[in-house]
Amino acid sequence: MRLVIAEDNALLREGLVLLLQSAGHDVAGVASTGPEILPQLLEHRPDAAVLDVRMPPGFRDEGLRAALAARESLPDLPVLVLSQYVEETYAAELLGGGARGVGYLLKDRVGRVDEFLDALERVASGGTALDPEVVTELLSRRRQGSPLDSLTAREREVLQLMAEGHDNATIAKSLVITERSVHKHIGNVFTKLDLPPTEGGHRRVRAVLAYLNG
Amino acid sequence: MTMDAAIRRAWLATRHLLIGAAVSLACYLMLGLLLLGLVATLLIVGAGILPETVQTVRRFASFERRRVGARTGEGVPQAYLPLTGPVAERLRHATTDPATYRDLRWVLAQLVYGLVLCYLSLILWLPAIIVDGIWCGVLGRRPVVLPVFDVLADLSCSWSRGLLQPPPGADLAQRVEQLTETRAGAVAAHGAELRRIERDLHDGAQARLVSLSMRIGLAKRAYDRDPEAARKLLDDAQDQAEQALAELRHVVRGIHPPVLTDRGLDGAVRALAASSGLSVEVAADGVTDGPRAPAAVEAAAYFVVAEALTNAAKHSGATRAEVALTRTPGMLRVLVRDHGCGGADESAGSGLIGVRRRVAALDGTVSLTSPAGGPTEIEVELPCAW
Repeated sequence: MRLVIAEDNALLREGLVLLLQSAGHDVAGVASTGPEILPQLLEHRPDAAVLDVRMPPGFRDEGLRAALAARESLPDLPVLVLSQYVEETYAAELLGGGARGVGYLLKDRVGRVDEFLDALERVASGGTALDPEVVTELLSRRRQGSPLDSLTAREREVLQLMAEGHDNATIAKSLVITERSVHKHIGNVFTKLDLPPTEGGHRRVRAVLAYLNG
Repeated sequence: MTMDAAIRRAWLATRHLLIGAAVSLACYLMLGLLLLGLVATLLIVGAGILPETVQTVRRFASFERRRVGARTGEGVPQAYLPLTGPVAERLRHATTDPATYRDLRWVLAQLVYGLVLCYLSLILWLPAIIVDGIWCGVLGRRPVVLPVFDVLADLSCSWSRGLLQPPPGADLAQRVEQLTETRAGAVAAHGAELRRIERDLHDGAQARLVSLSMRIGLAKRAYDRDPEAARKLLDDAQDQAEQALAELRHVVRGIHPPVLTDRGLDGAVRALAASSGLSVEVAADGVTDGPRAPAAVEAAAYFVVAEALTNAAKHSGATRAEVALTRTPGMLRVLVRDHGCGGADESAGSGLIGVRRRVAALDGTVSLTSPAGGPTEIEVELPCAW
């Protein structure tokens, strides 16, 4: 995969490049400030972009803004946004244009190399990778009489993993259950939440997130 | 006015005058004490007595101020130099404070008018009952003598107010004292905050990093001998690193939420509103224009809104809430209102106490109204130079 990465901290930037190259990816371009991001993306037309939220010169949310701008001018570009902390609002903004090829993860997750590379693959192939912390926050909002309360513990776990953007096989593996029972749980969740049935992939994630955000 | 109501009013006025007479008697005692204190001070031996006496006079004067405030519905301000520190300083403040001499003037005057007015009111009761008993009770006309009690009590109030009210310039002295107090409070709050952060880092992230480093060390030792054990240790080490990061994020959020830096107060409050689980309307008036408020003010406002919305979502049963941020000259006003069941009890939760402390440290004010049945409203004013 050809990638463009944006990260202002030299230590983390080198680490990220090393990690991605060792996994066989090609880091075509590197941006170390906010304004460099878009030109780099337009020049290299990568398969995916990995962007840090807080970048110079303002050290605010330059990376996130660049990600949103990039999705305007290069609508099919998969973007994985990394951040030192997660904010639900940012997730909502990123997913605003649809959950296709979007990732939003805590920087900590890079340490789990296999999972991080897996998330990157997923985003690059049009899937979604949403940080567990964001999903947990979405699920923990207390609404009285919410249909979420009627879910069993297992169904909640399945919903959580589904919202993070995992496919049935991965959900089955991480919960140590069969794909058949994952399928059954998902059916139950959709019925209880009164969501229209959709096949897998980003449309399912989108439906789930729209529900949680609503 | 009916006879009953007129009598009740007259009785309230008389009670005010009766207590005034008691204050007059206390004034008589205080004059004696002041003379004693003066003599003791001149003889050097009892230098400590005079400031104590002045302090006692101040207490009585404050009592009279409160009484006047309660009756007239308008408080009487006070402005004193603090009587603290070593004896010499206390003595200096007690004798140089113009308020001491104003109080002395009041003590002398109150001694006279307190007793005279009370005496008048007492001898007036018999004619009042006879005259108004016939005029008002029997003939049904408006009472004529009973209202005189009100006049007497009001007279006492306006004299006390005139004598006890500090001149306009004295406000400044009081303001300086108040600022000194809140500044000391702010410094203390800041110190407590630093200690809390230090403890959080020491017990949390720092301890985790030590344990992480230890595990990596053990893993290196085990690497050749027992690769499986080394792998297990490295797994643990990674867990520790992740927990350390989570704790650091938590500490950072408590100091200054990163979203404030990224989006400013308006954006950060909107983010809070979006994630609160309630339907929240945010109105920001003038907050986004011009220079931003100081970081500490923005953080305090942010925590006020966060706490209020959390409470609304958790306890009030509300589904809707409103947040208003208003910029006025020299002030940031934050108002959070939820349409829940009300009855919020400040003593029940510690969250609001923390908010109060943060706001007080910035010289701001918090007011909470939450009648049973709602709505709950919390209003915070934070002074700041924009």
